[in-house]
This record gives sequence, C-alpha cells and structure tokens, in this order.
Amino acid sequence: MPVIEKTRLRSEQIKPKIGSRILNSKAELLSGDLSDEINDLLEKSGVLIFPEVHFNDDEQMQFTNLLGGLAKEIRGEQIFKVSLDKSVNQKVAEYLKGSLYWHIDGTMNTVPIRASMLSAKVLSPEGGDTDFANTATSYEDLPTETKDKIADLRVVHSLWRSQFYHTPEPSMEQIEDWQSKGEAELPLVCTHKSGRKSMVLGNTAHYVTGVDPKKSYRILHGLREFATSEPYSYRHKWSVGDTVIWDNRTSLHRATPYDPDCGRMMHRTILQGTEAWEN
Amino acid sequence: MATATKTRFEYEDIKPKIGSRILNDKQSLLSGEFASEIRDLLEARGVLVFPKIDFTEDEQVAFTKTLGKFAPEGDDEGVTKITLDVKENPQSAEYLKGSLYWHIDGTRNEVPILASLLSCKVPSPKGTGNTGFSNTYAAYEDLPDDKKAEIDDLHVMHAPWASLFYYSPEPALAMLKGMQAIGEKELPLVWEHKSGRKSLVLGCTSHHVIGVDHTKSAELIHGLREWATSPQFTYSHAWEIGDLVIWDNTGTMHRAEAYDPTCGRMMLRTKLEGEEPWADVN
Repeated sequence: MPVIEKTRLRSEQIKPKIGSRILNSKAELLSGDLSDEINDLLEKSGVLIFPEVHFNDDEQMQFTNLLGGLAKEIRGEQIFKVSLDKSVNQKVAEYLKGSLYWHIDGTMNTVPIRASMLSAKVLSPEGGDTDFANTATSYEDLPTETKDKIADLRVVHSLWRSQFYHTPEPSMEQIEDWQSKGEAELPLVCTHKSGRKSMVLGNTAHYVTGVDPKKSYRILHGLREFATSEPYSYRHKWSVGDTVIWDNRTSLHRATPYDPDCGRMMHRTILQGTEAWEN
Repeated sequence: MATATKTRFEYEDIKPKIGSRILNDKQSLLSGEFASEIRDLLEARGVLVFPKIDFTEDEQVAFTKTLGKFAPEGDDEGVTKITLDVKENPQSAEYLKGSLYWHIDGTRNEVPILASLLSCKVPSPKGTGNTGFSNTYAAYEDLPDDKKAEIDDLHVMHAPWASLFYYSPEPALAMLKGMQAIGEKELPLVWEHKSGRKSLVLGCTSHHVIGVDHTKSAELIHGLREWATSPQFTYSHAWEIGDLVIWDNTGTMHRAEAYDPTCGRMMLRTKLEGEEPWADVN
C-alpha cells in the first residue's frame, strides 16, 4: 500500500529574535505544500533565507504567487532588477542610494507590501550585504514605560527626507522632484490584525508630530538604534542563487555600501499588501 | 633731498562677486600701513588671497594682530595647526567630515569670529583639499526684491547637531545627545550688519526656519544655499606652499574640499575676534 508522505518544513533558527533558514529543496518549495508554514514562519522570524535555491525568474514568480500573490512592481514589471547601474535603472538608481540606510518599503502607501523576495544573480566583490532588523521583536523587548510613552505618537514619513541621508546638500531641482512624491503620516507603533505590534521607523521617518525637533530626532534615532542592535538584526552575506524573503511590515532593511558599477544584480518580486498601516 | 614715497596698496579682483589678490610685499603688510585698506577690502570681497607670502608662524601672528584683536585658540597665543594626520590630531577623521559642507563658524556664539587666516605649509595633491568660499553678502544683494521681502524677517534654528546628519545620517543616540548638549541658537536668516549691509546666514548648522512647515523650510535653507554657492558667488582656492588666505566669517560660508587624510597636508590658522554680535532676532 503506497504511503503518501506530506512534505515537512525543514528550517533552522538564525537568532532567537530574527531570521530562519529553510532547507527544503526547490521542488518541495514549488509544490505549494509548505506555503502556510512558510508564511507563519515569515511572520515569526521576519526574514527567511533559502540558501542557494537557484530560482530562475519564472520559479521566483511561481514561488511568490504560492505565498500570496505577486504584486506589480514599479512600471508594471513582475521582476524588478535591483541595481545601482544607471544603464539598468536610470533615474531609479539615484533613489536606490537611499537603500543603503535602514528603511521600510512603502511607508508612503496606505497599504504597504506584505513582503519582498530577493534573489542574488551577480554579487559585488566587496560590500553589498543586506541587513535586516526586526521591528516587532525589538518592540516587544522595549521597557513598558517606553512603550507607554510612544504608544500614541505619530510620525510624518517622506521620501524627500530619506534622500538627504545620501545627498545632504541637494539642489532645488532635486528637492522639488523628491517632494513631489508626497508624504504620509503613520502611527509610530503599528498594530497588526493579529494583534502583534511593530515600529514604523527608517530613513523616511522625518519627525514625530507635535514634539520639538530635538526630542523628535532622539525618539526616532534612539528607537532605530535599538531596533537595529545585535539581538534584532541579521546581516545576510549573499551567495549566488540565494533567495531571501522578509516581512516588510516588521523589518527594517538596508544594503551595505558597494561599488555602483560593479554589476551587482538582484531580482526582486513583491507580495501584495494585505493590511493598511492603520485600520 | 630724499623723497619718501608711500607704498601703494595693490590688489586685483579674482571674480566680480568674490575674492581679491593682495600684491604688496611681506614687509609692507607686516608694517600695518594697509590694515584699514585690507579690512575694508575684506568686507567688500569676502576673501583675500596673499599668494606665496611665506609668513613664518610669528609673522602670521603679527600680521593678524595688525588687522584686529587676535583670538587665541586654546591656551596658545600662536598659530593652530590644521592637519588630519592622526598622530597630530586623533579626532581628525570626524573633523574632516564636518568641514566638507558649507558652513559659517560660531553660529552658536553670541559674537561670531570676524575672520580666519589660513596659511599653507604642506599642500595636498593637486585637485584635492581646496578651500571653497561663498560670498553671502553678494548672494543676498543679487536676490530679486520679492525674494528679499519674503525672507527678510525669517529666523533659523542653528544647531551643531543638525550638521551631524550631513556626515552621519544614522547616529547613535549617545552621539546625538552629545551634539545636542552643545546647544542651539536662533539666528536671523538675513543679517543686517551695523554697516547696513545684509548677508545670508546659512550652512549645515541650519536646522529649520522658525514658523514655516518642514517642506518650505527645506526649500528655503537649501534653495538659498544652492544660490549662494553657485559659481558667481564662490571661489575655490587651490593652495600653493606659502599662500595665506583671509576670509570674512561674517559674510561668507566656507568648506574644505575632500583630500586624503594621510597626505600630510598642513595648514596654520589664526583668528580675529568678532566685533559684532549676530543681529538681534527679536
């Protein structure tokens, strides 16, 4: 009598507060049998690593769909080529300099993407690691008095503020271009449908409303420093063929500096958002 | 009968809106006979260059004292060595980072220094380590009248901690708190000097314009900085050994241009005490 064995998720924890490696084969991942477990672990760990799984673009899109659907990338592409090379991305290469600093994608959208998936195609000879920080587990570990103090704070996010990180003396033309992308006010502490809470921080976080500038900068940079400290952060050193997914609502991420002309190439897909920042 | 001929004050302009070269010799400069002409020209031109004047340390101090009140740095009455050599200055890397952006010295003091004098002992390789100057009097004067009217009564919060974000946009909280402890100061965006002349008060210590929203504030601070540092109002001095440059700190911004900290560049600085407080903000 044939025995049908259900595929089991094989994973190992990277750190207690962030990250897991998933060790199943490509075929097992693409079977769809593991999707619910992967989604659960993604929420719990923040970041999942699929070491040298070597998805091609079709397989990456298929896997993305299995986990909850493929969103259209900027300009409608399904696979977005992440590169600082101007010949690949032209204007976008300029904005991507902001990705060298801790940030959350989609802080200016009502419904942020749920997760991003990145696959390494060409590595940079030096640098070009990706750092992740878990803003849910770091929030949980804040002292109660800090949680009370920040519970109702609201933060204005803007792309234009994030561009000052790499271009502190911009021209008016740059400022007007950046400012045309708008800004959005979000809660500092976001409560998910699940009841879980996480902090919305990063280089788009410009100021806390109704608080003087000195204090506002201390709040935002103090919490960013805590959230990105060792227990809550993980640096991924890429091998060609690695795929990484992170829960965008509960992770800050950044690339470490690398030569923009070195040819580093990552292929990204994104998972559609399922929840607004606030309900 | 011997006729005593008074030496003439000789100079040439570098650009129409900024900078002059002084061509008199060392002895006549040290005699102090042109001190008032030099002071007037400094205020008018923002930056004065004394090409290859080759002052010794003592001569630089003596020359400084002909122009006003010598401002000692630290305990020393002499020149201050400006170098990024870590053997001489362990904080050098931090110092360089902050000086690479347009700024005015002393935005947190009641009375900013009048002027700095910098001389070159060892230059950095050609194309690096220039010092840039921007004439903030000329930049104000050339603004359209409606822009002048818009900004004449605005005030700006200046803070060293604002400049921290230029070179360290993700500071540790302890670093941020340390910089914030230095203080901050509200200054007029347009400084009407006792002479009646007006200059812009800008630079990387400018945090925000008081009473306007963040978007507008950034447009004002950066739009005016871009204007004031555009080519017609700026001069970038490429140093030769023996050059001395004076700049009017009350009517210019300045910055260092990047250079290799290990190249041995060595400059000597003296300063003149300020004579006029920032215009009252009230």
